[in-house]
Amino acid sequence: MLQVRDDSAAAFEELVLRYQDRLVALLTHLSGSRDQAEDLAQEVFLRVYRARKSYVPGAKFSTWLFTIANNAASNALRTLARRHEVRPEARTGDSTVVNPMDHLAQASSSQMPVRRLAKAETREIVRLAVESLGERQRMAVLLSKFEGMCYAEIAEVMELSPQAIKSLLARARGNLREVLAPYMERGEAPVVGKNENGE
Amino acid sequence: MTPDSLQPDPTADAAPLDEQLVAYLDGELDADTARRIETLAADDPRLRERLGELGRAWELLDQLDRPETAGAFTETTLELVAVQAEEEARQREAQLPRLRRRRLAMAAGGLLACVAVGFLGGSLLRGDPNRALLDDLPVIENVDEYLQVLGEDDRVEPSLDFLRRLDQEGVFGDESQPGEGKNAS
Repeated sequence: MLQVRDDSAAAFEELVLRYQDRLVALLTHLSGSRDQAEDLAQEVFLRVYRARKSYVPGAKFSTWLFTIANNAASNALRTLARRHEVRPEARTGDSTVVNPMDHLAQASSSQMPVRRLAKAETREIVRLAVESLGERQRMAVLLSKFEGMCYAEIAEVMELSPQAIKSLLARARGNLREVLAPYMERGEAPVVGKNENGE
Repeated sequence: MTPDSLQPDPTADAAPLDEQLVAYLDGELDADTARRIETLAADDPRLRERLGELGRAWELLDQLDRPETAGAFTETTLELVAVQAEEEARQREAQLPRLRRRRLAMAAGGLLACVAVGFLGGSLLRGDPNRALLDDLPVIENVDEYLQVLGEDDRVEPSLDFLRRLDQEGVFGDESQPGEGKNAS
């Protein structure tokens, strides 16, 4: 990053290559859309480039990067949510946009027979369970699970206290356990209620 | 919540208990607290079950896709950054003449200030050259009369002694005090 700060193009390319997959994976699960995740990841890399002169040596680069990603994703999701509030009809008839809660509810409804789910479906169930979490819980879960960050690092990225992260993760994992319990216990599609702690 | 206050019934005060259980699973507890959780779990099947469920739900997240980016993503990202870099360079270039003009103006101002300070300082050190002329004004005004009373030799080269004698006799009046006008010659 120090070389990037000193305007080395090769160093920046190396940085993009090293982090792009991790960033896009995280943002895909955070935003629920691969295309949006790639747009966001590019926005994050642009912000990193613009802010390169303010990078302080000693700060862990991945923490800095994911802090920028968290801010960019929060802004984007907020804007998206506002658009949906203003134009609720935008979702009507759009078969590509699926509300995870509705999807899980449908999966567990009487119209869908109880059955063993194939691996691809398991993946889908887990993905939807993650999407049923609130934005902050999802971010904390993804940073913990996929980036292997400790509570202190997640706290730095999300600009919260480690104690708040401890509570956030406990609620998130409690929600996941609840949503996935039918699948874990009986191999059934989960029964999902409205997540009151979705945050 | 301290480990001592952990409830054996996981449904009672479930949220703080889950915090400890999740922190235990994440390896975020200190050794003593972790040991207490293990002791409690060993004695309480419901706690063991809850720990197991939390752990299994966490492991299921391994099933999530880890999408990988294609080469086109890297390429377009670097192109975007290159455009940004060009934009920054253009802005720097646009600011350059303005900066240069500002620097030139500052240099000229500094030079003028130095000249003014030098002139004032020099004047103070040198003294006022008109001061001597003002001191000698009474002599200058009457120089023709003085020359008339000088002898031939003195007219060729008026002597300082003669002028001093005149001064002592009070010829120059009060305007010129004895000792002043030493440069009258």
